Amino acid sequence: MEPQAKRRKEMDKCDTWDVLPVLSDEKSRDTELLPAYAAPIIEKRETSRLVKELSLIYPLPGLQHIKRVRACKDKSSPHPLEVIVCLARDVAKGVMPADLLRSQSFDSSGLGEPFLVEIPANPPLTRPQFEKASKHWPTSFHEDKQVTSALRGQLFTADQKAKMQDYMTAAVQAAKSGREMGMDAVGAVIVDPESEQIVAVGHDCKRGAQPLHHAVMVCIDLVACGQGGGAYNYEKYPACQFSSSDFFRNGCNSKETGQPYICTGYDLYVTREPCVMCAMALVHSRINRVFYGAPSADGALGTKYKIHCQKDLNHRFEVFKAVMLNACEALHKK
Amino acid sequence: MILIDMQTDRFDPEKSEFLQPSESEIQTWMSKAFDMGIEALENGEVPVGCLMVYNNEIIGKGRNEVNETKNATRHAEMVALDQVLDWCRVREKDPKEVCEQTVLYVTVEPCIMCAAALRLLYIPLVVYGCKNERFGGCGSVLDISSDHLPHTGTTFKCIAGNRAEEAVEMLKTFYKQENPNAPKPKVRKDLVSPPGGAVVIQVNQGPQH
Ligand SMILES: [Zn+2]
Ligand SMILES: [Zn+2]
Repeated sequence: MEPQAKRRKEMDKCDTWDVLPVLSDEKSRDTELLPAYAAPIIEKRETSRLVKELSLIYPLPGLQHIKRVRACKDKSSPHPLEVIVCLARDVAKGVMPADLLRSQSFDSSGLGEPFLVEIPANPPLTRPQFEKASKHWPTSFHEDKQVTSALRGQLFTADQKAKMQDYMTAAVQAAKSGREMGMDAVGAVIVDPESEQIVAVGHDCKRGAQPLHHAVMVCIDLVACGQGGGAYNYEKYPACQFSSSDFFRNGCNSKETGQPYICTGYDLYVTREPCVMCAMALVHSRINRVFYGAPSADGALGTKYKIHCQKDLNHRFEVFKAVMLNACEALHKK
Repeated sequence: MILIDMQTDRFDPEKSEFLQPSESEIQTWMSKAFDMGIEALENGEVPVGCLMVYNNEIIGKGRNEVNETKNATRHAEMVALDQVLDWCRVREKDPKEVCEQTVLYVTVEPCIMCAAALRLLYIPLVVYGCKNERFGGCGSVLDISSDHLPHTGTTFKCIAGNRAEEAVEMLKTFYKQENPNAPKPKVRKDLVSPPGGAVVIQVNQGPQH
């Protein structure tokens, strides 16, 4: 096959999987709603006065994202605008909605009968959240364009996906080599995205005497080996490899900073979502980004925890899943 | 007959109850862990002391090896767990059977990574000094020790707060040395830098329970 045609075919294969971001709970949760009273504005020219007075009597603390006034969805409605009066929880017991406006010392002329609505409790952080929230009541939204295109699976170009496929293919290969030695079929690759070079390839090495040698732990130690460190020897595992360029032999990387944050700037490709131990090891190693294939039952980068965006931790990183999902899932089928 | 049955039952309680060390045992082993921490501090290393005790015998002893291995995961607990595995291999013992009867004594709450490793190896009990507010995996940041994770080994119990103030004091002293304005102890430069396992110091930390 012509090289170009071959490339084309690979790119076509990339279309069978998406790279999906694993976002924080705040960014991925469902829209929470608060019951509130709204009222139609019958006299349009009273709008600005009504809004001013209502926000004095019924401020909406913590709900800065809520637009106080909305245009009526129904174009045939006799009144074009509606305004939030107050939150339902701010209404004293026994007060009827109709009394709401009369019981206050303000001029409610121009307002119609209050009615119940539901308004979004939190500011939308992603476009899907914004779209859902807007169905209930209009909100402001500061769009992060990168998140929007990531959620559409459009953050990466076809070329970038082809490279991801190369890296994940290497991880799948490593997983298969490990499996042949009786290990769990999990493979991992650490890449320097600047040079586009693979820095280390490893697979699960649990069976035998090292139950903590998960593929990610092996890979991190292989990177350390490449920088003149490392805690273990991997001679028994020919598929576990690291590159030790002059750069690493000179130890520039760690000498410059004086700190063993060896994965700074590196990306990890791993066939299966890392466990808690491995995910936290990636925090300690200051990984740049993680791409994984299949989710895992106690997974710590999306399934059970989201350690990459855990509050209180001193290092955060981006995580993407479903890279070559089918090939990664197939590793665990007999 | 019934009486005998009841007696045998007494020898089959939950493993952690079976392993409950006495107050004096805790004091003895924790004081050894603190000695290790102080020794590390004197050498300009992260002052975390950690030992694994099985049948009244120390079978694993760890100190932070992050700098010499350039591997940010080489926390004292990980090093000690490797020694336990070596100990089992040499004696041809089943690691699971040994670990299920092994207690970790450590001056600082294990981090999230180490807590998961302890689960994966079925360690049933951890006795520690002060909290690790920055990375702690036994309640401070996450509660890996007791969360429901059916595919991540077994949960473990914690006895916290043993000589917590002293443990905090050791860490404070270490980070004072870290301060570039403070006089540096005469140790290799690469040993002075804080490792991935650094813990934050809470100055106003009360006693932990
Ligand atoms: Zn793992
Ligand atoms: Zn740790």
